[in-house]
Amino acid sequence: MAKVLLINPTVREEDVPRHVPYGMALLAAIAIKAGHLVQVYDENAWRKGDAVTRQVLEADDWDLIGLGGITTAYGAIKKIVGMAREICPRAVITLGGGVLTSMPQDMMDFLPEVDVGVIGEAFVTFPEMLDMIDAGNRDWKKCNGTISRNAEGKLVLSPMRALIPELDVLPYPAWDLFPLEEVYFKNSESLYSEEGMMAQRRLDINGSLGCSLVCKFCFHLGIAGDMRYEEAKDGGVDVAFDRKGSYTRTIRYHSPEYIVKMVKHAYDTYKIDFIAFIDENLMTMDQYSGRTWLKEICRLWHEYGLAPKKNPDGTWTGVYWGGTSHASLCTQEILKIMREAGCSQLVYGYESFDQSVMKALGKGATPANNIRSFFWTLEAGIRPIPNQIIGFPNETFDSLRADMDAWQKLGIVVKPHFATPYPGSEWYTMYRQHILQQYKGDLERFILDLGDASKSSAIICHNFNAIELVGLRDMMMSFNWRRIDEYEKIWRINHRIPDGKPSTLYPGFAPHMTLDLPEPKLSLATAG
Amino acid sequence: MSDLLKGNFKTKNEVVAPEVAEETLEDRFERTALKRLGGSIAFVSKKKVMWEFKPKS
Repeated sequence: MAKVLLINPTVREEDVPRHVPYGMALLAAIAIKAGHLVQVYDENAWRKGDAVTRQVLEADDWDLIGLGGITTAYGAIKKIVGMAREICPRAVITLGGGVLTSMPQDMMDFLPEVDVGVIGEAFVTFPEMLDMIDAGNRDWKKCNGTISRNAEGKLVLSPMRALIPELDVLPYPAWDLFPLEEVYFKNSESLYSEEGMMAQRRLDINGSLGCSLVCKFCFHLGIAGDMRYEEAKDGGVDVAFDRKGSYTRTIRYHSPEYIVKMVKHAYDTYKIDFIAFIDENLMTMDQYSGRTWLKEICRLWHEYGLAPKKNPDGTWTGVYWGGTSHASLCTQEILKIMREAGCSQLVYGYESFDQSVMKALGKGATPANNIRSFFWTLEAGIRPIPNQIIGFPNETFDSLRADMDAWQKLGIVVKPHFATPYPGSEWYTMYRQHILQQYKGDLERFILDLGDASKSSAIICHNFNAIELVGLRDMMMSFNWRRIDEYEKIWRINHRIPDGKPSTLYPGFAPHMTLDLPEPKLSLATAG
Repeated sequence: MSDLLKGNFKTKNEVVAPEVAEETLEDRFERTALKRLGGSIAFVSKKKVMWEFKPKS
């Protein structure tokens, strides 16, 4: 049986670790169920430094060292795979998750230490790889859903891995392989609602995979039917995601019984008091199910004794919960049912309160729907979390003013994210040249610069550069209308736009986006 | 089973966490001040001071 080491790399160092890596916990459970020997080192949770990571790598003769994560974990991943190659020259080093899937060829070029990358869903690919290791077979091109190197060092894509049709076949995540008591439960607080703030033993769960919406900033990790293999210009194969006129989706969700039984298991085993659904969007799943999914989850939440009951001291029995909603897809009826079952908070990606920005975004929501859902959610007794973004491609002074107007009228206190073209998103595909231009053609520098979008990285706004957006955000948060009006006059002079004309260069570009760089050349072979 | 490494078998070598020095008062002060940075809350991060630095004459 293969001896496996899974390492969860450090991410978001500015905050304490809050989330058990759900995908890795599932893969650990799958590997153990298949009879393999598995150890997990949660570097992100422990944060003990490189000396301990070295000890972990030296702890055994690993057959496979597996890492994964989102793109912003790239810096930590790069460091770990370097150490792993040096300390464990015999081990197969593999990388999966969004960081690899969003740009497989680039990542394999950046990280020569990685032997094989897992593209998209790993639920079948990963145990197949372990079986190959047991059989002494390293011919990765025979394993679907991988990218590896041939004898000449050329990258080889195996055929695309199909998504599993039925999620309920998955085991529960191997939560006990992660430091729940030592780290995660201590960081249970989530500042989205009173109950979220008071949570002492929070766990995350994922009830679904996919989202029917086509927001241009979003990346669905290649596990939402959003990924395609296409013929590349050089005759090889390329991995492609959403772009205008080419959207594909596969929607999958766990049965309500699976979800609620899993929560009951976590309640009985780990004494949890809060569940955060990390689904892309609960409401899109509910709509896809014909408005039955969330109702049934809520009914079972009561039936299994999970609906919370408050004690006089503010603590509670049962499990409060929260997740993600959608302005156009929520209904008053379901919000009320959700609250009665213990839902305390719902994240809404309101993004903007400007009609033209929302129309260009592909979200299927409008400022009017944003406001409607805002009041419906409050009336149901749930805290709406009104996420906002500025720096959209077609952002203007007027769209920023529309945001400020809404914040003032609705009592929204917010520090907006900056529109960020994460790899895998439609924006990334659309603006790749402009991104490279901002990093002198060095894609890896851009990847290392990516954070959680609360700081600026590559700017895709046609009208405003990074410095303007940071300044405008500051003025917006303090509702300094006068300063913004004054700056618009300066901006018009700089860009030679007379009064009376719209204050926008869109679809043209401001100077920060106009330098044209050639596309880097990549060569890729196709698995035979 | 090691606390740091969690799994379904015993590894050949144990992983030992280094002794963690208790947070110094200086570290605690700088961490707390950083959370409230702004206005009159500004501080010198002592470990980052370049002691050899000399302004250009």
